Amino acid sequence: MPEIRLEHVSKRFDKFVAVDDLNLHINEHDFITLLGPSGCGKTTTLRMIAGLETPTEGRITIGDKVVFDAETGVNISPAKRDIGFLFQNYALWPHMTVYDNIAFGLENLKWKKDDIKARVDEMLKMLKIEEFVARYPAELSGGQQQRVAIARTLAPKPQVLFMDEPLSNLDAKLRSEMRTELKRLHSDSNSTFVYVTHDQLEAMTLATKICLMEKGVLQQYDPPLTVYAKPANLFVADFVGNPTMNFIKAKATPQNDGVMMDFLGVKALFKSKESFALEGPDVILGIRPEFFTICEDGRIHATAYSTLPAGMETTVKVHLNGELISSVVFGAIDFKVDQPIRCDIVGGEICVFDPKSTKRLAIGSLSVC
Amino acid sequence: MNEITKTAVHKRKLKYRVRDFVSKPENIILSITVVVLGFFTIYPLLLLLKDTLTVNIADLLYPELFGKKVGSLTTFHWKRMLFSNMSSTYFWNPLKNAVLMSVLASFIAILYGGVVAFLITRTDMKFKKFFSTVFIFPYIMPSWTIATFWKNFFQNPYIGSYQSGMLYWLTGICVPEKFVYGLVPCAIVLGLHYAPFAYILIGGILRNMDANLEEAATILKASRAKIIRRITLPIVMPALLSTFLLVFSSSMSAYAVPQFLGGASGFSVLTTTLKQFINSGWYGQGYIMSIFMILFGLIILGINQYVTGSRKNFTTVTGKSGQISYIKLGVWKYIAAAILVVLCVFCSFMPLVSFALESCTDIPGVYSNLTLKYWIDPGFPLNNGLHGLFYEPQVWAAFRNSLVLSISCSFIAGTMGILIGYAVSKRRGSKLAKLADNLAFLPYLMPSMALGAAFLAIGAKMGLSKTMGLLVLVGSIKYLPFASRSGINAMLQLSGEIEEAAIIVNVPWYKRMLRIIFPIQKSTFISGYLLPFTSCMRELSLFTLLSSGSIYLMTTLLEYWQVWCDQSANALNLLIVVTVLAINLLVNKLTGASIDKGVGG
Repeated sequence: MPEIRLEHVSKRFDKFVAVDDLNLHINEHDFITLLGPSGCGKTTTLRMIAGLETPTEGRITIGDKVVFDAETGVNISPAKRDIGFLFQNYALWPHMTVYDNIAFGLENLKWKKDDIKARVDEMLKMLKIEEFVARYPAELSGGQQQRVAIARTLAPKPQVLFMDEPLSNLDAKLRSEMRTELKRLHSDSNSTFVYVTHDQLEAMTLATKICLMEKGVLQQYDPPLTVYAKPANLFVADFVGNPTMNFIKAKATPQNDGVMMDFLGVKALFKSKESFALEGPDVILGIRPEFFTICEDGRIHATAYSTLPAGMETTVKVHLNGELISSVVFGAIDFKVDQPIRCDIVGGEICVFDPKSTKRLAIGSLSVC
Repeated sequence: MNEITKTAVHKRKLKYRVRDFVSKPENIILSITVVVLGFFTIYPLLLLLKDTLTVNIADLLYPELFGKKVGSLTTFHWKRMLFSNMSSTYFWNPLKNAVLMSVLASFIAILYGGVVAFLITRTDMKFKKFFSTVFIFPYIMPSWTIATFWKNFFQNPYIGSYQSGMLYWLTGICVPEKFVYGLVPCAIVLGLHYAPFAYILIGGILRNMDANLEEAATILKASRAKIIRRITLPIVMPALLSTFLLVFSSSMSAYAVPQFLGGASGFSVLTTTLKQFINSGWYGQGYIMSIFMILFGLIILGINQYVTGSRKNFTTVTGKSGQISYIKLGVWKYIAAAILVVLCVFCSFMPLVSFALESCTDIPGVYSNLTLKYWIDPGFPLNNGLHGLFYEPQVWAAFRNSLVLSISCSFIAGTMGILIGYAVSKRRGSKLAKLADNLAFLPYLMPSMALGAAFLAIGAKMGLSKTMGLLVLVGSIKYLPFASRSGINAMLQLSGEIEEAAIIVNVPWYKRMLRIIFPIQKSTFISGYLLPFTSCMRELSLFTLLSSGSIYLMTTLLEYWQVWCDQSANALNLLIVVTVLAINLLVNKLTGASIDKGVGG
């Protein structure tokens, strides 16, 4: 199960830069998600690794084989890269039965007839679609089509599996079912997965590492919980997490025991374990909704703007000096509109960003004075 | 040193890029398309232009050119055409006639076709299913069908060919000559012929228009009339304009109708005058005319692009346009249906009846004494100098020629259409794809007659004059736009993933085309073959210049017979119309591909 290495890979369409100098090292047996808003270059990246798109610059290695190198002109065709590709719209061939869809690829890879039959049966059983073997794709539901597509992709036993938003056409319930199965499939099949999605929840729950991109540039490449807790910049912080992180402009004044933050009429002392340098008095505080709590003895006085109970947890939009701040509390509560409430800031993962460079300067705790 | 390595790297990269480029079939297809089409569209135009400036053999009869060398340069043709005492007869009058005829025809087509489209898609009129099939007939049939029928029907002993006609024989009514020959009948007949085209365009939009748009207005308490005026009409407006322009440009280049219905009264348009010039060997002046026709075509379609380009998104189809509430016509649903039945019968069935009857008369226009001798009499000669149709060698030769030509053109154009569609959609957005796409569409902008003239020039230059090869070439190029449109449409509907899924498992290109892409989009691709075929079977104006005096096609034979051999011409006419209709129905039944796909009751 090989590792994949991208070195200085760029892709330009005329003037438009889709991917800019990307360096990425995917370890064997990783489950990587390429995450980002639409048009960020994630699908292009995936297609370049698969060989469906030719990079403008750089080098791509799968295992110990260089599959693309702009310098030496190596460009191995997708068929010879030993990969599987699961397409967003499944790309099942509508004029072939389920059996033919799975078998067609094996025929072209010059498998023996008996081997093909055995392998197709095995795949049908594994994905629980034996009963549909003679049906055409149009006669299957979305979930069943998805399974056929997975069976077709896995049948040639690819070393690496690429997936391009494979769940985006399914309804919410089916999507979460398929997520569970994909994660299971990953550990069972022992292959390397590269998965494209714009859904941060999907990326968080599935991946061993997230590669977050924006406008063709890699923003952060870390395990999901690191990306969540220690976002590298404002973009990452904003993109990951739902409801999104609260961003509050503050004035910072260094003191002996930390930095005094002044925001929305609140004064709070910021302390960090790591050393850091402020560029100026202006900073942006990043507070996850779960760290902005509502409690009886909170030291911040505010009002409830609106309350959105979801059963297990409740999102409260807190009105504080003209700004709205999201807060998530465990359990179901329902505040009246404009009801006075008291809040507090807890936890050690409060972020401080530089408004100019948008980079995260520090992470620490914030105690309201 | 550094500079040298830089250029070396640069060179090497260029080599890799070239290698990448030629390794993809779509690039090769596009390059070949651009070169071949570029040659066959630009080169003949240049030849035309050159010939308008040189002296031809027949031109030596002009005193002004007496003693000049053949092939020497002269501006005589342009002067004579545009600025001499002959220019009003040769150019301005035909131009004026053509424009008048085309404007009238466009109005008739839009009014008639648009009303029918509205009735069928938006009201509860009776027999909609029947109309949606029969109404299309005149558009499938050759363009002169209604024209010859018109002549058969309204002809009387005091005008035109001084024979009797159906109406005169039945009722003794003599309609004035102006109503049978000349501007008015040409415009009406063209309007009736293109009405189905307007119906297909407008009906398609009415049908695909999101019903919610109108429902939203209903909920806001707008009246039915107001909804039509403020919502429906503005939305179909671009389609109306576009229909107008397309019918206008088609009518401008129509040849058969003004040829059949104009001649007797001296009514001439650009195309008929062009044909006369070429027949007389006055190529220079004829080619000037075709250059103007091409210019008009380009201008009109340029306007059309401008009109539809930015507004096309009006017609976006959304998922939810389900049930639409039909306008209740009350008792009018029967009256409207009755009127339409009469019109449909007149335009779609009566021509066939009339051709059949006429071909069986002993004396044209006298229906009391019927005979089958013009069909089955092997004897020779009948009083028109021909055998019965089935024994006439000219007919069989023409039938064979037409069939060979149509099959060749449809095979070449259809296959090229698929390949171009494939390549353009694969390289969508690239400059090369846009260029190939535009070049493949260019022949559509060229009036058939002018394209024929251009290939007359190219044929003379390349030694292909009066050969079947030249006809196949011009036919394939003229009908390529139909095929490439349907090819591109078919490929755009097909997500690229379908092919990529096969690339990953090492399916070679030819196998991807044959096993995956073609089977999936079979019906659209087949209509890409069907359209060139039927168009070719019924084409006259494209081939009339090229085949005259050499290879007879069914249509050119008809044109020739039209003048002298009334019964045989009608029999031949019936044969052509029935062949075209039959092939259309057959392919429709076999593959589901049809011209009026997507409209209907």
